[in-house]
Amino acid sequence: MVPGPVPTAGLEPKLRPTTSSMPRVFITGLGFITSIGNDATQVTQSLRELRHGFELYPPFQKPEIPVKVAAPVRGFSTDSTDCEDWSFPTRYSIKREVLRGMAPHGVYAWCAMQQAVEDAKLSEADVSNAQTGLYAASGGSPYLMGHMLQRMHTMGVMRCSPLGIVASISGTVQFNLVAHFKIKGSSCGFASACASSSHALGFAYDDLVLGRQKRMFVVGAEDGNMDAILPFAGMRALSLQTDPNVASRPFDVARDGFVGTGGGVVLVLETEDEVARRGVKPYCEVLGWGQASDGHNVAISHPEGTGLRAAMENALRATGTAAEEVDYVNAHATSTPIGDLSEAKALKAIFKTPAARPAISSTKSLTGHGLSLAGAMESGFCALAIRDGFMPGSAHIAKLDPECEGLNIIRSTLSAQPHIALNNVSGFGGANVSLVFKQTS
Amino acid sequence: MPEAVQLNPGSNKTFVIPGKPFAPEDEAALREALKRCSPSTFEAAVQFRKTGNPEHLPAVVIGVIERFVEPDLRMKLKDADDDLRLIEDLGIDSLTMMEIVILVEDVLQMSINNDELRNLRTVGDVKTFIDCKVRGLALPKPTKFLPIEQIAAIMPIQPPFLFLNEASVSSNGANGKYKITGQEFFLQGHFKDNPVMPASIMLEALGQLAVLYLLEGAATEPGKVISPNTIFFTGCEGVRAHRVCRPGDILTLSIKPKRMKMPLATFEGAIRVGQEKAAIAEEITMTFGFAEAIIQPVPVNGTAARLNGENGAHAPTPLRAAVNS
Repeated sequence: MVPGPVPTAGLEPKLRPTTSSMPRVFITGLGFITSIGNDATQVTQSLRELRHGFELYPPFQKPEIPVKVAAPVRGFSTDSTDCEDWSFPTRYSIKREVLRGMAPHGVYAWCAMQQAVEDAKLSEADVSNAQTGLYAASGGSPYLMGHMLQRMHTMGVMRCSPLGIVASISGTVQFNLVAHFKIKGSSCGFASACASSSHALGFAYDDLVLGRQKRMFVVGAEDGNMDAILPFAGMRALSLQTDPNVASRPFDVARDGFVGTGGGVVLVLETEDEVARRGVKPYCEVLGWGQASDGHNVAISHPEGTGLRAAMENALRATGTAAEEVDYVNAHATSTPIGDLSEAKALKAIFKTPAARPAISSTKSLTGHGLSLAGAMESGFCALAIRDGFMPGSAHIAKLDPECEGLNIIRSTLSAQPHIALNNVSGFGGANVSLVFKQTS
Repeated sequence: MPEAVQLNPGSNKTFVIPGKPFAPEDEAALREALKRCSPSTFEAAVQFRKTGNPEHLPAVVIGVIERFVEPDLRMKLKDADDDLRLIEDLGIDSLTMMEIVILVEDVLQMSINNDELRNLRTVGDVKTFIDCKVRGLALPKPTKFLPIEQIAAIMPIQPPFLFLNEASVSSNGANGKYKITGQEFFLQGHFKDNPVMPASIMLEALGQLAVLYLLEGAATEPGKVISPNTIFFTGCEGVRAHRVCRPGDILTLSIKPKRMKMPLATFEGAIRVGQEKAAIAEEITMTFGFAEAIIQPVPVNGTAARLNGENGAHAPTPLRAAVNS
């Protein structure tokens, strides 16, 4: 693919409409169940102090499994196929009739949703009305799907759990959250693999800007257990490192694959009218987004990063943002040799002038790669960074890949508030999404 | 059953389970399957699997239902009678019912199909159903829910002397409701400036429910049906009125057959208003006679349940999950 001429973003006309017919959109609430913390406070601390969530994951410690490291969620036990065996932090109480339709990541999302509702100070009426919707993303639960199919084949088709389907197929997150939180507005799921929850966030933004909804919950979640992570070993995408401290090192010359993680993250997006009506203080503004596809390979990103570059261009153009205005980029970089390089090239193509050298980091160096969870999780990190005034470093780089020279990849956390932050994701099929967040003035 | 209608299916006849004997590994699997049930449920299941004695079934079925009921509602099952309703009283939705069925199937080694489940509404329905399945008996008539239009179409008694607004009829008895509107003609004189439902009319309402049971719920000889024109009131015993009932009160009526032998059927009856006892009759006896049944073609795959589901405007299908995928 031959990329077209790249417009200099700074010279683009400011297309962002300022008419009152297109309301501004803000992030007003966050919820986190992640490998680096189970609430915003813990997550912020981990990001600031570069505390990672990796460990020698017990289910992987078998001779026949070459992958050893993962970043599991702590404080939950969901390793039984029987949801009544599961345990979770005591601050959450989930009834059996709610639990029975959920995958492990449904529980993570449910808990993150509780946090987000609380954080945004939403009443029951604020959550359940025709103007409030929910978009979600997850890869489903290979674990429960496998269990259910095995049970079907061995015990008979009528002996499967009646809720096995809704607990395991892709879509399980919104089925459960929409029903249990009595969501009445728009709801659907997004399936673009690692780009999924950024697509969810982008289209949620669109619904708010178009006046279709006043408030949207955006949810990303993944099981992050053996059955969710190990299938990626077949495509040689996982790190085979045995040292949790170096397994995930995006942009390092010796990176050898990603480390899997799971969890659930929820963002609350609201229009400016709702923010004013409720009198809440937002984390940041969602300025807009862009997407583009590689049109290249089912699983490998374009070597020149053309799709991601186009997605960033589209995002900057749509939001009327000059490349020079971007202070921080939360990169997709998963720590795979090919993927990180593609992104580095795309970033170089966008931020090419010396004036435009935003701080760049991949927080996957701390969390691991959350697949469908990634976009929502890292957008949440951007919101925290903007509100709390820091830019998390890109951890575990011993020797920067020479191909990344010229990019301002920060290896330690900066105590400076990003005015504008950009979050990139790339998914299978060459889907790329870039989201733009702005400090609330 | 030529004359007497068996009302209590709980004989002690041993049911022989086909297949292999109960092995230690079966016991382990059973223990795992019932790990969230009470120990007595497990014991009853083991006994049933070893002996095939259906006497153990109620304990198994109740134990399985209990396991799926939210803890705060479990007390209701402790001293429940068979009229306890699965949906309204125990909060069991259609999906939970599926879970119950799957576990019962697993534990009792039987299979149950969806159509058979559609009309199980009470704990008694479930017990009777499982008992019939295990014994290989024909399933009892499912509980029918009849709105006023259907009641009026069936009954020989008509307004303004019909005192049932709605009713449900199963082989175990009948329940009904009647709201005292205040417009009843007799209230003009009973009493002067003080309308009170006459106790005699309340007894009449119970009698009407018994008539409905005879016409819709009672098991009869093959080829025969009870003729509406043959039913008459013959007597009652032990009638007591406990509460004055006035316009606005909703009478909840129930009757259960005690004895039934052509040409007499004896019922016990009770009326409540909310949770308050309003009246009881220890015995209400009716006389009845048979007429020849009109032979109707039976649909090949049609079940009574399905036909009932289509006819009954108020017959929901609570035991089948609404699948929206």
